[in-house]
Amino acid sequence: MKITQILLRLRYSSLGRLVLALLGTVVAICVVLLVSAQSDTYIANAGAMTIAILGLSLLTGWSGQVSIGNSGFMAVGAFTTGIWANHHQSSPIIISLLLSILTGAIAGLLVGIPATRLKGPYLAGMTLAFVTAMVPFIQSLGKLTGGSGGLFFANLSSPSWFANLSGDPQNFIVANYRWAATVSVVITGVAYYFMSNLFASRAGRAMRLVRDNDVAAELMGVNLGRVRVGAFVISAAYAGLAGSLVALLSGVARADNFGLALSIEILSLLVLGGIGTLSGALMAGLLAAYASTLIAKLNALFGLNPYSNLGSNSQGIIFGLLLVVTMLTAPQGMAGLLKKISHLRARKEAE
Amino acid sequence: MGAFFTSRIVSDILIGAAQGVLVGLIALSLVLIWQSTHVLNFAQGAMAMFAAFCGMTMLEHGLNYWVCVLISLVAAMLLGGVTERVLVRPLYGKAEINSIVVMVGFLGILESGASSIWSGMARQLTSPLSQTYFTLGSKTLYLSPFSLFQIGSALTLMLGVAALFRFTKIGLQLRASALAPEVSRLLGVRVSRMLTLGWIISSAVGAFAAIIIATSGSGLFPSNMDGFFVFGFIAAAIGGLESPGGAILAGLLIGIIQTFVADYLSPSWVAFTPVLILVLSQLVRPAGIFTKNTTRRL
Amino acid sequence: MTTSPSLPHLKLDNISIRFGGLHALSNVSFDVHSGEIVGLIGPNGAGKTTAFNVACGFISPNEGAVSYPALGQTSLKPHQLARAGIARTLQGVGLFDHMTVLENVMAGGQSRAHGGVVAGLLGLRSAARSEHSLRADALAQLDRLGISQFAAQLPSAIPYGIAKKVSVARSLVTNPSLLLLDEPASGLDENELSEFANLITQLRETMAVLLVEHNMDFVMPLVDRLVVLNFGQVIATGTPHEVRANPDVLAAYLGVDQ
Repeated sequence: MKITQILLRLRYSSLGRLVLALLGTVVAICVVLLVSAQSDTYIANAGAMTIAILGLSLLTGWSGQVSIGNSGFMAVGAFTTGIWANHHQSSPIIISLLLSILTGAIAGLLVGIPATRLKGPYLAGMTLAFVTAMVPFIQSLGKLTGGSGGLFFANLSSPSWFANLSGDPQNFIVANYRWAATVSVVITGVAYYFMSNLFASRAGRAMRLVRDNDVAAELMGVNLGRVRVGAFVISAAYAGLAGSLVALLSGVARADNFGLALSIEILSLLVLGGIGTLSGALMAGLLAAYASTLIAKLNALFGLNPYSNLGSNSQGIIFGLLLVVTMLTAPQGMAGLLKKISHLRARKEAE
Repeated sequence: MGAFFTSRIVSDILIGAAQGVLVGLIALSLVLIWQSTHVLNFAQGAMAMFAAFCGMTMLEHGLNYWVCVLISLVAAMLLGGVTERVLVRPLYGKAEINSIVVMVGFLGILESGASSIWSGMARQLTSPLSQTYFTLGSKTLYLSPFSLFQIGSALTLMLGVAALFRFTKIGLQLRASALAPEVSRLLGVRVSRMLTLGWIISSAVGAFAAIIIATSGSGLFPSNMDGFFVFGFIAAAIGGLESPGGAILAGLLIGIIQTFVADYLSPSWVAFTPVLILVLSQLVRPAGIFTKNTTRRL
Repeated sequence: MTTSPSLPHLKLDNISIRFGGLHALSNVSFDVHSGEIVGLIGPNGAGKTTAFNVACGFISPNEGAVSYPALGQTSLKPHQLARAGIARTLQGVGLFDHMTVLENVMAGGQSRAHGGVVAGLLGLRSAARSEHSLRADALAQLDRLGISQFAAQLPSAIPYGIAKKVSVARSLVTNPSLLLLDEPASGLDENELSEFANLITQLRETMAVLLVEHNMDFVMPLVDRLVVLNFGQVIATGTPHEVRANPDVLAAYLGVDQ
């Protein structure tokens, strides 16, 4: 109880937020270095998912614009990274990441400007239209994007100092996994820090005002269009970064992988974690890390062959079910449940 | 005269119209639900696909095509009714985002479910009518027995729905429940039954479109309605989600415009064309082209 | 902000509004000066709310013009009002449901605080500092209205009368020079009504106030001047005393044929 209060207090100051993000990142790096290489691949991917979820949390939870098209922005980031990597083999990854953020943001601007005219289901439908158009569009670009086969390029490999540092210097495969997870965790920490700043700022508040009551927000001096587009741009920039990271981790950019299913997965995780709160987005990230393991275990429990029809699709069914059940029974997600529990406990203590 | 009917423009219009009536059916199915329950059914395409699978896979067991269609339509009605009762009913009066998220989740369940039951492979449905285009002299006329059936049956279905709403007692009750649920309830209309019935009708219309789409082109597979659903949604949105006639007309136009884009510009732009049309139409008339203007409520 | 005392804060000049064939307002003109409380009254459907929405740019007139001469502004968009020193309350309370009372009042200073999206992301010092002073001002405003004990509550958890005060506190946090109150008395009990009347009287010292109101017992002793609308036209203006004696007004309210 005390600890949660201290954590909440920390979020009110910019220094506190920095300390929180640093602490979290350091803890995560320790975990990365301790667990198995297999777990590290899950953590690395979960980092990318967390970034995408943070972006969607801002757009859907914070500014109230439901998007089921954010995987389309991830595709933009992934292909930016892929195309750049194939033309500039030796450029540092930071350049790829920054470029992907930029192209993601531009895509967000292009989608966001018309989207600000749309509300509720119209907007969600337009983002759906965007993502379903995006996949065949990328595939039709031929050589530039590798068509439906996609692009292949070098994925992250550990520098020698890291391999020496992280245990067995001979075993480069393990070192590569550890390095990929570390990079992913650090980038996620940075992304989290910036998002926590935004949530606590004037611009972040403007987004919530628009979500809660757009007429009153306008009277408070909020330019509705600008705030709505702003949320789209930032959200798409985060998605672009996430897509870039996914591409760097796997060394592949395939349009198929960024279709509607991924958007639904991000949305499911976000709703499960808790929509519109930072802690919810983080919990969603943890879920993402465990999801594949959990589903593999579930498949084993029910004796399903993971390559059978049912086994290979159980993930989609489970995510869909969780999304529906959560929304119908506990729309605030895990973060909301935890809050409720701590409120109940506080009341009990008071009595 | 023959040269006119086989000209490039008329060919595009014929191909586009055959696509467009299907888009129009999906748009109609969406509008029927939106009017009565103000839920945009993101799972509509997936529900139609699922129902189509339920019946059309019976073809492999030697059943007649039309019997399979009948089974699919019954499955669609059941699915529509159960969905409304179980998933949608708890959403009435809740925030918009709740219904969007639930229906998107249902879409995921249905597509993954269909993949796990029937596998993700596309299966070709043997067409009951020839799909070979007629010829006029040496030129091709872009109509086939099947595409004539496609256009004809879609138009019949649309007129049937219109007649049901306009000329029957049930239709009157359906319209009353959508427009003024409270008053209708006072007048003795079983509003909640009417809402379920709306979903049943909408679901059947969607499933019929899904069967035709699977028969005429790409075959039946779990995500084969994704693209068409998007086009149908865009057609409905251009019409303002409230106007069945507008939705059908917009669907027809989208089909035709897409064919022209594919023929005269490039097939890669086909997917983006409806998105652009939606954006343009929203910039011109945010409330929809076929609805009366509404002022903003303060 | 320079304000010259001789110019009106709000000026509606020959405003006409048509919705389809319906004339919602015809040639409506009136103004509001600093240090003055003006009441806009009239029977239901007379066009009060329409006139009010014109005054704050939510509806643009078919003919005529709205201006804010003392503030040096003409025809503002709704989101530009706050920065120009104009605040408006909404019918009911119009609070942000998912934000605490304190956050709601801070939201009133949205136009005053610094920092866009990028500054927010980076967590710039200047943005943090302006947030800090905004928080202090919001608390001071809650104190002034005697409701600071509700600062951490959500709007759904506080009584209606308090919520109304919060919405006033929210519009005062920018120190506006023109305040537009939309039915401030609706839903309040006797005690709260007199508190509100006192509060509005105090506000006159520093700003011009225009209010739309149904409750005559509340309006009559409070305002300096009344503008009476009927069927979209101004049928009378003047002090409460003059208006009360005007036979047209009586006829409009009682529905007597003229």
